[in-house]
Amino acid sequence: MGGPRRRMATTIAIIFLSLGLFFLLVAAIGMVRLPDVFARAHAVGLTDTMGAFFMLFGLAIYEGFSLNMLKILVVFSLLYLLNPVVTHATIRAALRAGVKPWMKGPS
Amino acid sequence: MTGRILLKTALFFLIWMALSGKFNFLHLTIGLGLSLGIAWLNTWPLTGDKMRVSWVGVLTYVPWLFSRILASSIHMVRLILDPKLPIDPQLFGHQTSLPHHAAVVLLGNSITLTPGTITVEVSPNELTVHSIDPASSNDLLSGTLEKKVATVFPSQPRMKA
Repeated sequence: MGGPRRRMATTIAIIFLSLGLFFLLVAAIGMVRLPDVFARAHAVGLTDTMGAFFMLFGLAIYEGFSLNMLKILVVFSLLYLLNPVVTHATIRAALRAGVKPWMKGPS
Repeated sequence: MTGRILLKTALFFLIWMALSGKFNFLHLTIGLGLSLGIAWLNTWPLTGDKMRVSWVGVLTYVPWLFSRILASSIHMVRLILDPKLPIDPQLFGHQTSLPHHAAVVLLGNSITLTPGTITVEVSPNELTVHSIDPASSNDLLSGTLEKKVATVFPSQPRMKA
């Protein structure tokens, strides 16, 4: 496991990966619990943003300053640019196909 | 025109070399070809109008948006894990008067990126937004988000829709 520096980096990486896993788990639970496409898309948004962020951040710390850290940063910025576009396209397609959003109340 | 393409090619090629880390003939020729092609694609006009971006605005906007994303993620986790599932989804229109198409795109993307709100339809003047509960759309309805987006695209006249 190398010196104390390396061990500390590994510990911090594990903490961040666990945080990311927590968000991924909650998003999966949301996928099951929420009532319709629109609400489920919000749960998936959790994966896209916080889940991916903590996972990639953990990996970047584990890698240390290297070429791979730079690549992780590139993946990270691309993810944050592309995810909203994909989510928006999916949801707009659902609405145009005539899916009625679930609303609260007696229905 | 040619100068711009060459400048962009050089920039992309530098990024390629930094990311690939390999300096043999095969990697360098592939990289050079791709850089040239992408630089050429980049000269195609996409929107047709010029825009000015304030980099100070970008550097303050990104961390602010990130803090909002973190806050609404935690709110979203609470909603999902709550045994009663207290969601109250709404679909509403939001009028916007941002100066530029790019600004509206940034606003729409920021809304979608924030868990709890999704942009469903976009036009230059209005966004249709789906939110999972009233608290999630606070930032948008109070106009905070729009003001922050406006700082990224400073002082430009409103273009025609």
